[in-house]
Amino acid sequence: MNIVESISDAWQPAVDAAPAPGQLIALERWAAIADTWPQDITPGLLLPNDVDPREIGIDLGRFATIALQFPKWTDGRAYTQARLLRRRLRWGGELRAVGDVVVDIAPLLARVGFDVAVLRPGQDPKAARGALRFFDGGNAHYQGDARDPRPLFQKQAPAQVGGDRVLVAVGGARS
Amino acid sequence: MYTYTDFDRRFVRERAAQFRDQLQRHLAGELADDEFRPLRLQNGWYIQRHAPMARISIPYGTLSSTQARALADIADQFDRGSLHFTTRQNAQYNWIPLARAADVMERLAEVDMHGIQTSGNCVRNIASDVLAGIAPDELVDPRPFAEIVRQWSALHPEFAFLPRKFKVSIGGAAEDRVAAGWYDVGLLARRDAAGALGFQVQVGGGMGRTPIIGTVVREFLPWDQLLIYLEAVLRVYNAYGRRDNIWKARIKILVRAEGQRFIDAVEREFAEILEHDLGGDAHLITEDELDRVAAHFAPPPVAADADAAVEQPDDPAYARWLQRNVLAHRDPRLRAVTLSLKRLGQSPGDVTSTQLRAAADLADRHSHGELRVSHEQNLLLPWVPASGLPELWRAARQASLANPNIGLLSDIISCPGGDLCALANARSLPIAAAVSERFTDLDELYDIGELALNISGCMNSCGHHHSGHIGILGVDKDGSEWYQVTVGGSDGSHRGPAAGPGRIIGPSFSASEVPDVVEALVDLYLGQRTPGERFVDWARRARIEDLRAAADAVRRDTARENAA
Repeated sequence: MNIVESISDAWQPAVDAAPAPGQLIALERWAAIADTWPQDITPGLLLPNDVDPREIGIDLGRFATIALQFPKWTDGRAYTQARLLRRRLRWGGELRAVGDVVVDIAPLLARVGFDVAVLRPGQDPKAARGALRFFDGGNAHYQGDARDPRPLFQKQAPAQVGGDRVLVAVGGARS
Repeated sequence: MYTYTDFDRRFVRERAAQFRDQLQRHLAGELADDEFRPLRLQNGWYIQRHAPMARISIPYGTLSSTQARALADIADQFDRGSLHFTTRQNAQYNWIPLARAADVMERLAEVDMHGIQTSGNCVRNIASDVLAGIAPDELVDPRPFAEIVRQWSALHPEFAFLPRKFKVSIGGAAEDRVAAGWYDVGLLARRDAAGALGFQVQVGGGMGRTPIIGTVVREFLPWDQLLIYLEAVLRVYNAYGRRDNIWKARIKILVRAEGQRFIDAVEREFAEILEHDLGGDAHLITEDELDRVAAHFAPPPVAADADAAVEQPDDPAYARWLQRNVLAHRDPRLRAVTLSLKRLGQSPGDVTSTQLRAAADLADRHSHGELRVSHEQNLLLPWVPASGLPELWRAARQASLANPNIGLLSDIISCPGGDLCALANARSLPIAAAVSERFTDLDELYDIGELALNISGCMNSCGHHHSGHIGILGVDKDGSEWYQVTVGGSDGSHRGPAAGPGRIIGPSFSASEVPDVVEALVDLYLGQRTPGERFVDWARRARIEDLRAAADAVRRDTARENAA
């Protein structure tokens, strides 16, 4: 995961109506401008953290990046949005964490599938990179995550690995 | 007992190292208070009235004698020679300077212990039945499931910053001894018509300002789907739980507000994980994994010459101890023995390092080195040969751990209250002491019989006052301490009727009135009870006017106010 500082980030929230590269467009504005947006400029999407990514009803393929927001760093809704975007909606593009992003949430961001953590002003990028080193660089965990959906017990039992999409009958009971 | 694998061991050591790094940055001024606070909380470190309070995780209440001795050593080296066991089966220290916090976590990691998620808005320590794996009425040992859920929830990246704390309890018996209805998620083992094993899932129970008994969202969840169902519940909560008001942020408020829509959302999410997600089925628990974990909990060997007979008492004190502190066991040659941490001069759940080492010695000699911490803040020895009971009784008595008061009025549950806790509105320990001093006569206590008296110093309800047969809640009015009294609460176990909060019997009382109120309620009960009727059953049927009148009759400090 890349760590960048908000001030030097190539992607910034769009402040005026004129399309330009590197603009993050707020979800509620996109519907009005989607039809007229120039094809040669690929925008980013800025998603509020109280929106269900399954219900936004727009073509995510138009965007180069999706920015998920942390109004406060202790507000964890964007982790769930990231999880849904990656593993249910199969969003393969870039995911950025923006807003009140602090050093010590970097390991969580990386594990739920963010590619870029845009630190809020005053946060030290070096410290954030340092925070990523624990737990074998974030790989030594019990539960699956965006990097590998398998929990530890599946990794330790390679014969039963089922990382690919498998349809399972819900409600089936074992004795 | 679960023994750590190399991975588990590396994991807690890595957590200790990560915490040391965070603490060092904080002490160096690189990590501000606001940014450090949630991090230290998720390692169990609160800032309290006098010093930080450290809460140490004791998964499903199980402790080895080695771990107990380490806790005692930490109490001596870092604290003031004692520690406290909580209603959620954890341990707490109250006097350790924050600068030494990382040293403590490293010392704990040496004995496979930690403070991961003992506080903070995340999935907390998994609670279970103190009689897990030994109770005669058990369908299935809940500990392997508790351990699997513990591992799955440990540092789960999606659920580290929920709207509020999240507590899970798992029971495997016919009787609900895990207060399932009072937890954010309460799981009780069930078998379906075909004999398959699963869990009844209750969601949205909780104490606090708004006591609510959980809603059954699934009557039967096949065991292998447990983690995925929990994931669905937590995802719906994380996305939709309220974050605008700390008093309305628990999942119980969401469940109450949304009702069936909450259940539908969870079921839809659950189905979508399995049907649509990349690797969505990867967290189905496999037979191999259950077997691997369950193997850790195989019962220890029983001596070939073990005898089911219990030496009959000629000493009435021993007879009482057998009656109150010794429980039946699945293996007829064994017993479960409670070491009472409720005695005059010591706060409920408190142990000195000396007492804890004595308990560890008793565990080594009589219980294969295993202790359990109970919800009622006592210690339990789960593997005691019946033939060794007289010797154990004498040794426990020597160590002041044999008070034969389990389940009686003096077996009080209490939080540390305002003496130590910065959240508390009022002190709870002096109330516990005053009530204990009022009821010291064992004959009287035995006559009163089964009675759970629970004391909380504030609405956070750490002393579980809502589920007390008598509940006492510290409240703050105009800067002074008052106590609200409830009657007839129940945790859902066979000690009382169905789980539910007690009824409030009028305006709050002063501290000095509380023992009189308890006595007045007990006297009313003794006068009105039918043969064999327990206090709590009487309390549920008693007229509220009678309860209030009895309590009002002993008001002194609060009489004028209420007359006005």
